Amino acid sequence: MKTDRELVKYCIERMLQKGAKKAQCYLKFNKKHELNVDAGEMTLLRTTFDTSILFKAIINDQKGDLKINKMDKDSLDSAIDQVIELAQSSRPDKANDIADKQLPKEFTAGREEADLDVMYDRLHDFVLYEKEHYPQTMIEQSIVDFTQSNIIIQNSNGVDFAGNRGLYSFSVMFTSKEGEKASSFNYSGCSMKELDKPLHEYSSIDMLLKQSSEQIHTSAFPGKIVGDVIITPDCLSSFIYYVTAYLYDYALISGSSIYKDKLNEKIAHETLTLHSDPRSPEIAKNYFFTRDGFEAQNMTIIDKGVLKSFLLSQYGANKTGKPKAVNSGGCYIVEPGTAAFEEMVSSIDKGLLLCRFSGGNPSDNGDFSGVAKNSYLIENGKITKAVNETMIAGNLAEMIKNIVNISKERIDYGSEIYPWIQVKGITVSGK
Amino acid sequence: MIEKDISKYKKMFSEYTELRIQENRNCAIAVVNGDIMGNNRSSESGVSARVYKKGVWGFSSNPTISDETVQTVIKAATENALYLNDRERRDKPPLPVSIGTAEKDFMTDKKRKTQKEMIDFLKEINAYIGRTYNDLTARTTVYRCLEMEKALLTSEGSHAYSMVPRSIIYTSLSLTKDGQPFELYEVFGGFGQFEDLFIKPEDFYEKIDTQYEHLKKKSEGVYAKAGLADCIFGTDLAGILSHEAIGHTVEADIVQGGSIAANYLNKEVANPNITMIDYAHTAMGKLCPIPVFVDDEGTKAEDAVLIENGILKTFMHNKESAQHFGVKPTGNARAYTYSDEPIIRMRNTAIVPGKDKLSDMIASIDDGYYLMQASNGQADSTSEFMFGIVKGYEIKNGKLGKGIKDTTISGVAFEMLKTISMISDDMSWSCGGMCGKKQLIPVGMGGPAVKCKVNIGGK
Repeated sequence: MKTDRELVKYCIERMLQKGAKKAQCYLKFNKKHELNVDAGEMTLLRTTFDTSILFKAIINDQKGDLKINKMDKDSLDSAIDQVIELAQSSRPDKANDIADKQLPKEFTAGREEADLDVMYDRLHDFVLYEKEHYPQTMIEQSIVDFTQSNIIIQNSNGVDFAGNRGLYSFSVMFTSKEGEKASSFNYSGCSMKELDKPLHEYSSIDMLLKQSSEQIHTSAFPGKIVGDVIITPDCLSSFIYYVTAYLYDYALISGSSIYKDKLNEKIAHETLTLHSDPRSPEIAKNYFFTRDGFEAQNMTIIDKGVLKSFLLSQYGANKTGKPKAVNSGGCYIVEPGTAAFEEMVSSIDKGLLLCRFSGGNPSDNGDFSGVAKNSYLIENGKITKAVNETMIAGNLAEMIKNIVNISKERIDYGSEIYPWIQVKGITVSGK
Repeated sequence: MIEKDISKYKKMFSEYTELRIQENRNCAIAVVNGDIMGNNRSSESGVSARVYKKGVWGFSSNPTISDETVQTVIKAATENALYLNDRERRDKPPLPVSIGTAEKDFMTDKKRKTQKEMIDFLKEINAYIGRTYNDLTARTTVYRCLEMEKALLTSEGSHAYSMVPRSIIYTSLSLTKDGQPFELYEVFGGFGQFEDLFIKPEDFYEKIDTQYEHLKKKSEGVYAKAGLADCIFGTDLAGILSHEAIGHTVEADIVQGGSIAANYLNKEVANPNITMIDYAHTAMGKLCPIPVFVDDEGTKAEDAVLIENGILKTFMHNKESAQHFGVKPTGNARAYTYSDEPIIRMRNTAIVPGKDKLSDMIASIDDGYYLMQASNGQADSTSEFMFGIVKGYEIKNGKLGKGIKDTTISGVAFEMLKTISMISDDMSWSCGGMCGKKQLIPVGMGGPAVKCKVNIGGK
């Protein structure tokens, strides 16, 4: 076996020889360089190589999946025997299938190799910047990494895709202290193709660092209201995750999704448009094809409040009879609104700027409740003070219908792009 | 299976070095409404080396296990340490010497089940639920197994081998009442393998009947009233309290990163009846769910008595944090996969049982809640915590009342611990989930039931 492509082809052919009626193979190589700051000091440099090869075999509608991380012939042959046994031990399910033939393609994005010296310099400068500008704030952990990944997917219908991507990522987690008082921790991160500017200038990093020391001294949220909350882009990520969870296979197959019968119906305020754009040039952390063998396309999930697509895989679509998504989700972009963030704040007499949500998983019916972290009281159109021990509660389905405003400003995380969103009808209560 | 004795590689070390060869094996079967939605196996193995040089670390890993790749990863890890040392010049002294040796293989000695036998077992449980309860909208039965097998060698002379298995069966039931969906899950199993833990499907039926009753009561239940309330935390919840709300704040790396617990060492942080321990491998004469005998830095793992009679006594340490705080390492350095470096993690964290009876504890509350199960939990560097509650009951005039719908509780752990007034004389462990830090890792958490005051979210 000379090339990786030939190796994958060998695996497909051998699965078929061993009795598979349909076969798929997904091969991934990762090479990662990673620099770590712990407790404000750069202390670790990691270089790791990972391989994984995922086999899928279908025999008489019975499916088996097996993953190993070895590439030698004995390991591959043994894994193929095992995946055939797994499929034979399963039960027939007509929803099991593999992707139809598509035009073979190879995709490439980002650089091929890490520039370790640039990674070091950027992280070193970030640590100095943080210490100089935010002396009360301690970096608990910060990581810069570069991952070069090479993926090949083939199946017995003739699918043959290859994807090569090099991507930097940066994350930071921090807390501020003054004497014996401490802020809540906060964190953020982003992905980028090049490290072409100082790390604090990416996404919301500098804004959150600035806020952290403000959050050492907090006040109780006064009383209890059912009112307006502005959800920040960092926090919006959690809520988008909660909403889209209702659109994936499990929620729709089990029938527990609140949106199971809502395709092409209005589920949100008309100002909300949510895209999943893995092929957009706006998204640095993109992907080219799905794990079930389809070339990924951009799609709109919610268009002006109307649910336009579920996030069903091929299996989920076959199982439910609902349409398959044209990608695997993620790479979310929320379209901007028309209001400036400051206008949104000034429109609120008493409310909350929700910067991080620490909550339980929402109920099947969409109810959620949790603690507002790193968040601020809004009074008489102004952000007045950081709050502590503040609970919020609401219902996700109602919340996205009750959008009041979406900001024209957005934050680009490299993997997602989000604005600030103002919603009404959320219960906010102090201690 | 990996080689247990890797001492032949010691001659390749030139600096302080940890060498680890590891394989993680996973199995997952999911049955949803009678259909097999998941039928997977995976294995991930390889070699890694970590090298220390005057205050900085280099790490490297490779999935191929051979003499050549061992040499390659040691060389790459050494070069990485030298690269950082050249630039950072921290000039720290050598790490404290801490040598541990152990060989612990917990592989079952029973005949291994085939995948088909395990699928049949799961399908039978799923079918029982289907034929017994016809008002359910969904029934899910999932089996998950993780076997972690490690061989470790350090330049200081530590050598260890372990094979620690965990097997879980998870059942989830859903129904709709008045147009609203309700769900309740239950986790069975823990330390051991399928063959050790799951003998026949019928053993589950009584527990599933109880789970269904709880679900019915939840669907017919009420929203908890928002505000501060007298509560009993059931044993599962006390375990999450120990792990999330207290445990993370007293991991030494989190303390160095700004945790409020830095202020509280040797101070009273809890009711004097509270003792909380991160057990290494054995608690009250029995093996813990996640036994660690030698950690992944080669330190002999010992119990970390975090809170003793209400006083915060220590943090959990690796070698580097132990050096920083001037104490002995506790053996809390753990790595999840071969390509992960060891970081400070909990092992089996629990409040030590007290002397009260659960029935007396419930009887002592006029108006409050018995909170039995959490869906998730999060905690902060301030020790402010939040747990999602998915199973619980009202307590009215000393008796259990109506079920409650999903809610959230929150509090500040180091304040809330002082409100604990009763501790039950029993305890149980759970280890169904994974703890997330930089890496995932399985942990054990447990405890008795405790009576306390906590802020409940209501609707």
